[in-house]
Formats: sequence, C-alpha cells, structure tokens
Amino acid sequence: MAKRILSAGPVLLCLVFVLTAAGSLGSDEALHRVWAVKDCRIVSPGRPDVAKATVVIRDGLIEAAGPAVTVPADAEVIDGSKLTLHPGFIDGLGQSLLKLPEEKFDQMKFYTGEFTDKDRGLTPELRAFDYVALGKATLEKYHKLGLTAAHVLPQKGILTGQGAFFSLSSDDKNKALLVKDTWLGLGFSPSTFSVYPSSLMGVVALMRQEFNDVTYFAMQRNRWRKELRGIARPVHNALYESLIDYASGEKPVVFLCGNQYDIRRSLELGAELKLNYLICDLSGEAQLVLPELKQAKARVLCAVSFKAPATSIRSQLGKAEKEKAEKEFYPKSPARLAEAGIPFAFSSLGTDDPKSFLDGVQKAIDAGLSRSKAIEALTVTPATFLGLDKALATVDPGKVANLVLVEGDPLAKEPKVKYVFADGQQFDFSKPKIAEGEKPTVNVSGRWELNLPEAGLKMTLDLTQEEANLSGKLTTPFGVFDFTGGTVSGNQLYFEMNLSLGGQDIDLYFSATVTGDSMAGSVVQGTQGSSEFTAKRIPG
Amino acid sequence: MRRHTIGIIILAGLFLTAGLLQAGAPTEKRLLLKNGHILPVTGPGFDGDILIVGTKIAKLGPGLAAEPGTEVIDLKGQWVMPGIIDSHSHIALEGSVNEMGDLITAEVDCLDILNPEDINIYYALTGGVTTIHTMHGSANPIGGKGIVLKLKWGASAADMVFAGAPRTIKWALGENPKQSNSYGIGKPRYPRSRMGVEASIRVEFEAAKDYMKAWQTYDQKVKAAQGKKDAVLPLPPRKDYRLEAIADILRGKYWIRCHAYQAEEMEAIIRLCKEYGVKLACFEHGLEGYRITNELAANHVAVSTFADFWAYKWEAYNTMPQSAALMARRGVLVGLNSDDAERMRRLFFDAAKTVRFGGLTETEALKTITINPAIILGVDRWTGSLEAGKDADIAVFSRHPLDPYTVCQMTIVDGKVYFDRAKYLDERAKAEEAKKKSAEAPKLKDKKD
Repeated sequence: MAKRILSAGPVLLCLVFVLTAAGSLGSDEALHRVWAVKDCRIVSPGRPDVAKATVVIRDGLIEAAGPAVTVPADAEVIDGSKLTLHPGFIDGLGQSLLKLPEEKFDQMKFYTGEFTDKDRGLTPELRAFDYVALGKATLEKYHKLGLTAAHVLPQKGILTGQGAFFSLSSDDKNKALLVKDTWLGLGFSPSTFSVYPSSLMGVVALMRQEFNDVTYFAMQRNRWRKELRGIARPVHNALYESLIDYASGEKPVVFLCGNQYDIRRSLELGAELKLNYLICDLSGEAQLVLPELKQAKARVLCAVSFKAPATSIRSQLGKAEKEKAEKEFYPKSPARLAEAGIPFAFSSLGTDDPKSFLDGVQKAIDAGLSRSKAIEALTVTPATFLGLDKALATVDPGKVANLVLVEGDPLAKEPKVKYVFADGQQFDFSKPKIAEGEKPTVNVSGRWELNLPEAGLKMTLDLTQEEANLSGKLTTPFGVFDFTGGTVSGNQLYFEMNLSLGGQDIDLYFSATVTGDSMAGSVVQGTQGSSEFTAKRIPG
Repeated sequence: MRRHTIGIIILAGLFLTAGLLQAGAPTEKRLLLKNGHILPVTGPGFDGDILIVGTKIAKLGPGLAAEPGTEVIDLKGQWVMPGIIDSHSHIALEGSVNEMGDLITAEVDCLDILNPEDINIYYALTGGVTTIHTMHGSANPIGGKGIVLKLKWGASAADMVFAGAPRTIKWALGENPKQSNSYGIGKPRYPRSRMGVEASIRVEFEAAKDYMKAWQTYDQKVKAAQGKKDAVLPLPPRKDYRLEAIADILRGKYWIRCHAYQAEEMEAIIRLCKEYGVKLACFEHGLEGYRITNELAANHVAVSTFADFWAYKWEAYNTMPQSAALMARRGVLVGLNSDDAERMRRLFFDAAKTVRFGGLTETEALKTITINPAIILGVDRWTGSLEAGKDADIAVFSRHPLDPYTVCQMTIVDGKVYFDRAKYLDERAKAEEAKKKSAEAPKLKDKKD
C-alpha cells in the first residue's frame, strides 16, 4: 500500500504542478471589499421589515444598515430597488458537507473478535472540521437557496463525533470556520456487529457508564493535581480527555432522535447525566412530546425528511396509512413546536442536499408553520444555539456580512437569489451563466477516456447523467475519485471532485463542452490554476 | 409520644375534611357488568354481576343494582374471568431484546426501550391479556432488567408500567448463553459449557461483592477522615453500572427470572442462589421441572412454562404435555407463558391443555394464566383474580374460556374497556365501507398506473 502511494506521488505532484503553473485565476482579495446595496427591502427576523434601506458591507462585516445610510465613496453600488435583503440562512445541523474517508471493513475481525471503538460506534474524536469538503460548486448550491452558514456533524454511531460551524464563504475551511468542535453527537444506533453495545438498551446503558466514567476521570485528575499526594493519578485516556467538556456541561451534546421514544430517553438521560443538551428530532415526532420538551426547556433541531419511524403505530398499519402520516402528520411538528413556544432550528440531517432541505422546510410551512417562524428557525435560533447570535442572523452593523439579496420571496420554491454575501465576499448570480439552466441537449452517461496532455495523463471517466444532474467517478493511476457534484446544461458539463491524497486536500473543478462523442474543456485546481483536457467516449 | 398522637389526629382531621370536600367533586366512573358467568378463579364461580368503580372492582354478586350514572354492559350470559397475565414475553420493546455484546449485561434495562405503540399490545388485548412481563432475551447468563406492564393501549410507556410491581432480572442457563444455537462465523464466546454458564454467574457475584466492599471501605475512610486536619479524602470507587445491578441482585432488589430447561442445571442454580442468599423467583420454561418438583416446591421456586411446546432443541426434549399439571399437583407454583407475540393471544387454549393432558381442574387450569403468574410477578395483591378491591382487569369470553370454540369479546384494564370485539368489527366494517366509497368516487387527478 505504501509503495502504491509513493509511486503515485510524483504523478500527483506533476498534475498539481501543471495546474498551478498554468496561471492564476485572480485572487478574490484583489476585488472590491466595499459594497452598498441601495434601496433594498430588509427582512430581519424578529423585527418589522424596512421597506427602503441601504446596507453597506465593508471588509467582511455589515458597516451600516438603514433608510438614512449614505453610500460611501469607495463602495461598489448594487441597485437593490427590486430586491429583498435578508440574513443568510443557516443549516442548524447537517452532514452533507462531510466527506469521510471510505474504509474497507476488515472481515478478519469476525474471526478475531478484535473490534475497535469505531466498530462499536464510539468516535468522539472524529471532528467534522477535519473532514468537511467545501467545493466551489457546493457553496454555489447553498448560496442559490439563500444558505450562507452550515453546522456540520458526523451522524453515525453512538458517540458520533464533534461538529464544526462554517460560514459558506470560502473553499478554504480555515477561512470559512466559525466555531470548531461545537457539539458532540449522541446517536441511538447500536453496532451491527456482535460487540457491545449491540442493542438499543445497551446503547442507553453505555451512555450512562461512559459519561460517568468521564466525570470520574476528570474528578480523579483534578483531585490528583490538587493534592499531588495520597491519591493515585489517573491513567491517561485520550477518549475521556476529548469528552470532558461535554460531560461537564460546558459544551453541548446533541441527541440524534429517530422517534419520540429517543426524545423521551434523551430528556431523561440529559437530566440524569446533567448534560447541556439539544434534541435533534429526525422524524417529526417532537410534536408528541410537547409537554415534556416544554418542561425541560429543551432546544430542538427539526429535521425535515418527515419519515414515519418503524416504531410508530402509523408505520404498522400498512403502506397507505404510513404515507398519509408522512404527508399530513409528520410535517406538522415544527408548527406545533412553534405554537408551544419551544425554540427550534431546522436541520438538514436526513436530506441529501440543500435543495431537499429547503423543500422540507417548505413542507413544514405548508403544514401550518408561519413564514416568520420558519425564517427564525433558519437564522436567529440556530445562531443562538451555536452561541453566535451576536455575530450572525440579523442585519445589524458590526455583524458578519452573511446576507442574501433575492427577488421576491426568500422562501419561494425556487428563490430568485441575485447576490449572496458570505463573510462580505460577493457571489453574483444576477447575470445568468452561459447555458445556465438550459435543458441538457446531450446525454453523456457512459465511460470516457480523459486526456490531460500537460500532465501526460490518460484517465478513465465514468459518467451517469440524470436529466441535469451529473455524477460519476474518475479513475486515475493514484486512486478512484467520486464526483462531489456535477451538472449538465445544454451541451455544457460541469463536475467537481476532491482529491485527498498524501495529506493533501485538492479540489478539482471540470468544465467542458460536448460535441458528439468527444468533449473539450478545462480543469481548475482550487484557486491555483487551470489546465486543458479532452475526452473521448469509449464505445460499449 | 403524646405529640405524635396529636399529630395523627390532626392528620386524620385533614384527611376527613379533604374527603368531605371531594364528595362535591364528580364521583369516579361506575361500570356494571351484568348477567355474566363469573369465574373469579380464587373463589367459586357464580352467575351475576361485577360493579367497577374507577379502576377497582367494588362488588361482585348476583343482582347488583345500578345507581344513576352507572354505565351498564349486559353480558347476556357470556363468561367473565380475570384478565390473563403473561409472565414471560418480549413485546413492546424497541430494538434487540438481547444485548449480545457481552456475557453479563445486568446494566441494560427494558424500561429504557419500551415502545407503547407496538401493535402486539393490541393483539394481546384481543386474547384477554391485561398484564405482561416483558424482558431481556436468553443470550446471557445474566441479561437485563425486565418490567411488568398493564396493557393500556394508547397510553404512554410510563403509564403502562405496573405501579408497585417488583423489578426483575433475566438469567439464562444452558444452550442459549452457550450460544450453541448460533452457527454464525466468529470467535466463540465463553462459556461453551453448562459448567461455564454457572461459573460466569459466580464470578460476577464475587466481583460484585468486591465492588460492594470497595464502597464500604471508602465510606469508612471518609468517616475516619472527618474532622481530621490535613486528612486527604480517599477517592471514591468508580461507579460501575453493571456491578451496581449485580450488587442489587445480592441485596435482593430484583426478582430473578432464570431461563432453564434441564433438571440438573436448575438444581445447580438453586444451590448457587442459596449459597449467596439470593431469592430465585422463577424458572422460565423449566421443561424438566416435573423431575424435581420436591426441590422446586421446597425452595419456593415457581416455573413459568409452556403447555405442549417442546423438542425444538435438544435440551427441550425431555418433557411431556403433563409436565405443567404434574408440577402444579405437587405444589409447585406454575404459570403458563407465551414467550411469543402470537401465542400470547391464545393463552387460554394453552391453559385448556393442562385439563386435557394433565387432568387439572378448570379452576386450576385458569390459575396458570391468572393468579399464578400474578404471584410469580409479585402483583397478586392487585390483579390475577376477580375480588372486591382488586384492579378491574377483566376478560369476557363468548363461551367458557377453556372451550375450544371460545372467543374473547372484551378486555378491561383498570376499569377501562381497551378491547371490544363488537365495536371493533363495527368500526372495521365502517372503515372498509368508507374505503370502498372513496375508491368508487370518480378520480379527479393522479391517474397513474
């Protein structure tokens, strides 16, 4: 294995070098850093709309906002007279920006019984920050729907990992980061192996033991540091070390709840273990636990896939009943939480992409949630949950310039987003891109041979096209890479992928024009440079 | 002493005043079941009525009068028995009923995973069942904690928990904890013999004794350090939820429900429990129990068994349909259980088999699914027979409950009708009619094929 990486190294370096040498795209820093949006309507949660105002953005922050604001001389002016400006939406909890390395399961473990903590679902040291993939195309998908910040958390297992909160302003995650190691995820999914805990009741028992052990470890360590004699020092334990802040309540944990019983369990465990906890309702059954949630002063994240859990009686009475409940009953949960005065934010867990996330929010609105409450749940509430309400989520001077300019309704099915500011960086959607949104006139599904002459490389490209959506993989001498996104419009292709190799994290963006069974285009590596490529369809 | 007495008088006065105030409030719901063949199980049968006030049976007898405001159900000669009790089941639980990840898992608790929406609860009600004991499986020598439930369909898990019922812990002997029935790939788990199963319990008991001792020592050291200057307080021992539960077994907090088939392993575990001074409540299945009736009776160990279900694995070969009756006749407390969501609906058939095969009287047979399991579960003060003052847990049958053609018509739990066959059939017919109508209605949209 090591040998393979070594031999692939020079090839990879060669590719990177070629791309880097091909020239600079031009740095964002060189562009304007001051904007003034004139005469726009301001929609800011929790306060009346301002019909005609000017908003000044400078160096990443909102400098001024209001009807009487004058346009600074150095500002680039945007005519906002037909536009509504609102704080960018926040995904309160999701994992679609996460790209975890695929690992092959070692079958020998069945024979040796040597399962790891990971096999048991105990991965609290898994940090979302380390595995987040913020490609340009990905950011664009979020921006086009008015989303400018996302909280990412690994969802798998029992102690699932630690979250990270990003402003969707840059494909450099160091720049984009708002808060690292936000919350610890707690899931109720037992291991599928014959290893403890293999049952739900085992998971609950393990959570009790684990948090007690961490508290005990911390107590033992503090006592030892204080007394230094007469007490045995604790054995170093990295796992416990990473959990201390969560066990003490200093940092929040979030229970990922698949049904109302998970929510009830979480409320009991949260109180019993004295955790600083939030509830993520993955099903829409929070509406069945309203008095308990209210009493516990719980903070809730509402996922919006609204699927009936298997435990529900609504799932046990046949397909028709189940579908009816998923259409009529489950989407009502956010509205019921709002009526009960329980704070909640929206979560994209359970949805595939930002589009289906906001479609789910729409379902909640159709089921009776007011638009203003929906906007709150996409702005102020998640920001508050994450401790950044002072920095985000309203249009106020001094706050981070995460703003969206949209024509018409910000929560429309296809919102007409014209400009997005994330950390004061402008993303312009006002002019349609070439061939953007056109119906595909080609079908590129199949296998292609991709030729990158500057690197002297020939690689295999497998494409799957479903209408305008493009997915696929690139087989290279140094590994196979899945697309992280892709589109087809007219005869134009666009796709991107992330190469994680040898400690390097490289984003590649491909665009090409298709003519019959061949295509020609360019590949851009991050913000470094571009290189030409061609590809030919491999018949059969 | 004198102050104490005055206190009691004041308390009694308050109590009386409260009672008088309450007289003005709406009285408890009264339900009169009329004209039934009543089988109280703990007393002779009679034709007559049962008056339910609130959740309790208030009166039994012929010709009870209905005060105004009493709801009357005319049973027209149907048969009435105590609600059936299934003291060994695994329904109403979420996720796996076995924690397979470890050998001893006393820390896991069925209370943490109750699912009151399990449709099997309703199915059980259609067979006259009103109380169940739902429990951990038999994969581990010491499994998890079990819980007794009243089948109040529609209520929350917390409301279904049988208030006052002792908590139980599941043990298992023989082939299941040996895992000789699972042929999957993988590393074999200790133990692989019956000796090993018993030893694993003993080892855990010893560990728990050490654990208890460590806490005792700690408490003593803390006491000794009190008031002393510069004394470094000792570290408390680490709280171990598993050993905590085992220690609680040793302290007698849990009723031990031990899955076992063979006579000699039952005897061995009786000896082990005696040695550690813990009370063994009941053997589960206990198919060879008829061979050691003296030992079972002398040690007051009950058996929760099947009527005529055996030979499904080698340790279940040596039994016969007379087993339950033989044990009962020799003074062993015997209950029949389902261990199965489907069999749970027809436990009255299983009871009838003890008459057919074992020659038990009808009352003795009915006891195996009512008062006996109630005693096994420690809830006989409240349920298991039709007596004034007990919970109104009642099953109504079209014929004698041991008649092969009998059908359960109504099930009442805590005075509330949770299943009414006539009403159910009526509602179902209406629902089907409505469905038909909507199917016949002209489709305005969505013409898909």
